[in-house]
Amino acid sequence: MSKPVSSSAALPIAHAVLRILVVLNWLMAAVILVLLVGMPNEQWIMSAFKLTPSPDADRLVMALRAVAVLGLAVIPLNYIVLKKLLAIVETVRAGDPFVATNAQHLRAIAWALLTLQLLSIVIGAIGRSVSTPAHPVHLDAGFSINGWLAVLLTFLLARVFAEGTLMRDDLEGTV
Amino acid sequence: MAIAVKLDDLLHDRRMTLTELADRVGMTLANLSILKTGKARAIRFSTLDAICAALSCQPGDILQFEAEGLAKKKRKAS
Repeated sequence: MSKPVSSSAALPIAHAVLRILVVLNWLMAAVILVLLVGMPNEQWIMSAFKLTPSPDADRLVMALRAVAVLGLAVIPLNYIVLKKLLAIVETVRAGDPFVATNAQHLRAIAWALLTLQLLSIVIGAIGRSVSTPAHPVHLDAGFSINGWLAVLLTFLLARVFAEGTLMRDDLEGTV
Repeated sequence: MAIAVKLDDLLHDRRMTLTELADRVGMTLANLSILKTGKARAIRFSTLDAICAALSCQPGDILQFEAEGLAKKKRKAS
């Protein structure tokens, strides 16, 4: 016999993990901001990457700044995903997850994931465009079949929730 | 909804209260009240069967199709 949802350990763990990820997301934003506008100037970047002044080195510095700006754009999208997931977890904890708002939450998550995938492709392309044998740039970004499957799955799940909510409404109005 | 529920008229004709009908068909008074006031979205065949048996009537005696305009006018009047 399965345990009731309310007594499952998965929900408190999910809740705690999501809260930690929200904090980590803000920390990442702070780090990117510091890298972008704070201490490191062009000389610092050049020495960190062992670059000598050249057009290629300038391009690399520009590309890294562009990646940092795109990285900043990722922060609010991550925040949307995490906050909406937290809201969904809350409804599961309350014992009523099949509500119209959860379908809207999932749709918002799907759009955020889609935008994140597009940003990942752009960041990956920037990395490849400035990577040279002398100064290889390896960015963990680009097209990901798993990422796009997650986007598709989330859109489908949002639709399933929307339909499920309508069916439940109908059932509740049945005598 | 273009389907009107005429449970009120039937109960009046049979000199029966909603509570008595609820007892006979084994439904809660709240659910029967939802049906009577036309707030139900759907009705199960088993419910229809039980009500027809209790009131000795046909489904058509309980439900009636009304054109949308007529139904709106009736709602405004009541």
